[in-house]
Amino acid sequence: MNRREFFKISWGTVGLAALVSGVGVSLAAVVRFLMPSVFYEPPQSFKIGEPGDFPFGPPTFLVAEKIFVFRDREKGFAVASAVCTHLGCTVAHFSSDQRFHCPCHGSVFAADGSVQHGPAPRALDWFEVTMARDGKLLVNKDKVVPPNYRLMV
Amino acid sequence: MNLIREIWQSIVRRDPLSTDKGKSELVFLNVWLHIHPAKVKKENMKFRHTFYLGFITFFLFLILLTTGIALMVYYRPYPPQAYQDMKDLQFAVFMGTFLRNMHRWAAHGMVICVFLHMCRVFYTGSYKKPRQFNWVIGVLLLLLTLSLSFTGYLLPWDQLAYWAITVGTNIGSYAPLIGGQLRELLLGGHSVGEGALIRFYVLHVAVLPAAMILLTIVHFWRVRKDGGLSRPVWKLKGKKEELVTIGAPAVAVPMQASAASKDKTYGLMEVVSGKPIFETVTPEEEEDTVFSYPYAFVREAVVLMATVTTVMTMSLFLNAPLEELANPAKTPNPAKAPWYFLGLQELVSHSAFLGGVVAPALMVLALLAIPYLDRNPSRRPRDRKLILWLFTIFVVANLALIVIGTFFRGPGWAMVPPWVHVVGGAE
Amino acid sequence: MERRLQQLFFALSLLALALILAAAWQANTPSWKTYQRSFLQLEAQEEPNAITKAAVLATPPEIHQVLLPGLQRVDRCTTCHLGVEDPTMKNAPEPFRYHENLGPHVPAKFGCTICHGGQGLATDKDSAHGKVDFWPNPLLTKDYIRASCGRCHKEGDVPGVPELTAGHRLFETQGCRGCHKLNGVGGSIGPDLTGEGANRRAPEWLEAHFLAPNAVSAGSAMPNFHFTKDQARDLTYYMLSLTNEEMGSYFSSLRLIPSPEYGRQLFVEKNCIACHSIGGVGAKTAPDLLGVTKRHSIEWLDEQLVNPELVYPGSAMPEYDLETNARKALVAYMASATAEDAQAILSRRARAMTTEEIAIEAGKQNFSRFGCVGCHGTELQGGVANPNAQGGEVPSLLHVSDDYTKDEVIAIIRNGRVPPLDNTAGPTPPLYMPSWKNVLSDEDINRIADYLWSKQQKAKDAW
Repeated sequence: MNRREFFKISWGTVGLAALVSGVGVSLAAVVRFLMPSVFYEPPQSFKIGEPGDFPFGPPTFLVAEKIFVFRDREKGFAVASAVCTHLGCTVAHFSSDQRFHCPCHGSVFAADGSVQHGPAPRALDWFEVTMARDGKLLVNKDKVVPPNYRLMV
Repeated sequence: MNLIREIWQSIVRRDPLSTDKGKSELVFLNVWLHIHPAKVKKENMKFRHTFYLGFITFFLFLILLTTGIALMVYYRPYPPQAYQDMKDLQFAVFMGTFLRNMHRWAAHGMVICVFLHMCRVFYTGSYKKPRQFNWVIGVLLLLLTLSLSFTGYLLPWDQLAYWAITVGTNIGSYAPLIGGQLRELLLGGHSVGEGALIRFYVLHVAVLPAAMILLTIVHFWRVRKDGGLSRPVWKLKGKKEELVTIGAPAVAVPMQASAASKDKTYGLMEVVSGKPIFETVTPEEEEDTVFSYPYAFVREAVVLMATVTTVMTMSLFLNAPLEELANPAKTPNPAKAPWYFLGLQELVSHSAFLGGVVAPALMVLALLAIPYLDRNPSRRPRDRKLILWLFTIFVVANLALIVIGTFFRGPGWAMVPPWVHVVGGAE
Repeated sequence: MERRLQQLFFALSLLALALILAAAWQANTPSWKTYQRSFLQLEAQEEPNAITKAAVLATPPEIHQVLLPGLQRVDRCTTCHLGVEDPTMKNAPEPFRYHENLGPHVPAKFGCTICHGGQGLATDKDSAHGKVDFWPNPLLTKDYIRASCGRCHKEGDVPGVPELTAGHRLFETQGCRGCHKLNGVGGSIGPDLTGEGANRRAPEWLEAHFLAPNAVSAGSAMPNFHFTKDQARDLTYYMLSLTNEEMGSYFSSLRLIPSPEYGRQLFVEKNCIACHSIGGVGAKTAPDLLGVTKRHSIEWLDEQLVNPELVYPGSAMPEYDLETNARKALVAYMASATAEDAQAILSRRARAMTTEEIAIEAGKQNFSRFGCVGCHGTELQGGVANPNAQGGEVPSLLHVSDDYTKDEVIAIIRNGRVPPLDNTAGPTPPLYMPSWKNVLSDEDINRIADYLWSKQQKAKDAW
């Protein structure tokens, strides 16, 4: 390979590399551009109030957040998702049988969230609930915890 | 390995590029490239003959299309969310500022390049037979470019946008009889408001780009059909006189008389029409041509990358303006139309009817009529002194008015040189 | 040539790549990420062991925002001000310090800019603090921040912000409405002040303007009222609280519990004792108010205060144009009012008023409330400068009866009057008498005329 040919190949390679990486970086930038940095919806992690705001006994349903807040004298706090694992309808908690019923396709979840009837493929999610530094309960929907998770206050 | 080759050949159905046939087939077997001829005249590729202004304009339009589609993802066309979305682009969206800058600067660049392109075409006399109608399409493309820029101007919904559109649409409302109704139709109301924003948005992202794309296709097609790029003929040495008067043979010489016809086979259509479909190339011209690949393509690629990098560099260092949220109760002093309409606004400040109706109408009509009024067949500058002078005066006057309107008009539209700092009027 | 062009193409491609990388790098390194990293360092210091420390440090950076659709606001301040709700950050350096005394005003419900000003959507320091061009609301400085309370707490006293109450009172008693409109009521000589607090006007400018209008706004028609520094501060506070955002309805649940003290203040100010009595102490023109809260429901009393004639046809009680909270405060006072207190109030007055005097008193109220005092003076003395008209100043109203009949005066108030120029070549005088017929009822205008006539000094006496 003589000098001339070397340069010919090398210009082609550099140019091609530049183009390919330019297009690649642009595509990556476009994908990153399309991924929202901020969400115009309720945050995934939010404070629901102080422990005293929640009664013992039947769970408190928070409509906007779509969660059930359970408070038990011995066991403490737990937060269950109200979104059916089948197709995303909102389930209701019946205090008569202590179970969750989905209105869409009849899925029934036991008190611990496990599927008892219907087409739901898996148990209801339980979310992490912690105590924030200002004494309020902090729910994080991004962190799914086992059904026996409890926050003692 | 065979399969890969087969797949490759199913996509690229041409001979290797090392052969002349392959080079030709690359062009005319490719839907995107076949607007080019397989071979181009060397003269046509000279930078100083066209400055590649048409290409630059087209590439800027491509940049505008791509960045525009990306920006649409984060834009809600109703106030005041539209303004909030501008802030989001600036503060929360990854590379949002950069994309908005690119869109803005490419838009301004396109207005300038369309203008320069038309100047070039005029000075080389390239609107003459057989290209008259393509000049008309070019004028329409100029109007579309201005409309696109103008409708896009409102979308950020800030003070700059709001008042520029208020002033701009009011210039138009001076048109007799229909001016007022026209403005109402455009704004969807009596003043710039929510209705105007959605209308401008629809025009900006759907109607006008579609029209632009269609007319651009026609424009390119006719450039090709009218004999390729038009050169400044007076620079060609020792050419036939007919080439001096027109860029390409408008009425082709009869088949038998054509020197190039000897070793050419003719298709049915050519036999029927009695003339070659494609332009004939004389032997002496043949020497002046080269294959489009790679000679024309590499030049276009250079121009493309130069355009892209220029816009990117500007966008990296210069931010598109964004003022306060639009406030119908508070007119900035002075309120100015977009810069390319400041010449008109300058005229309007002297006479509303003259600046708002007579001048723009005459300008557009004159531009449209130029190829039909100018009966002089010669394209040599020395034969067209008068019209070149007239056009130059027209261009300089336009530019002067725009410069005055942009840089020399202060509060109350008073004459204030740009180097004098005006302290805001009494509050 | 061809080789050069190819090289140029390659070079430009590389440049484009470099530019895109530069833009991506620029977009990927915003200043808020630096702040979040230092905050995580701070937080990690408090973690007991290495694992939790690492977990804290691994928190991905993200923009925090509070959505406030009711206020048409999105506040991203907590992206950098990360310790606002974290009491352990009490002594942390800014921007991480804990916000003390937030009380019920949690950022999740109120955001930050509602009180502090600034640009909620911004995520870099200068833009967020509004110290950039084209953002009309820069951060309020410590001296003026409390004025923001008045943006929501429109009615009654705001605890800890006496300036707002004082400013409001000055506005209503010094005749500002004579020239300025506020919420649709007032003259049109000066600018409308509805939403003044949302305009770009530095508090310092406002304060200087109140001390000497002409000093900051050359050629201003506004007379110098010779306010004290404190009064100028009070008025500035009040102005800053005037925003036309509809916070009242958004924060309707946040109304202050009206205080009987405020009620008593109003009771004295509106001179209720001139007609009413409490436990037999006071005038007997109108019903006794002792135990009135037991005889009538709160709603009934409230309605009575809004529109006396509607509840009691033929009632002589004037409409006092009281705000919701003022009415509540008055009712609260009435519930606790005693005869001794009435005595204390009454001891500052000589005797009860007659019907005529009531009309005159109502006229005086109107004269002050609708801003006549702004130009004609609290004692009708006039004297506010008005170059090139009527001898260069607004005339005194103490001798009106010498030149006009009562009907003529009523006509002038109704229709307004532009004074003739002293010197036809001179400048147009800034002040003129606006027309009041669309603002005041005929009855109100008659009462003002009654009040004027009660103050007339006989020309003979003067000689």
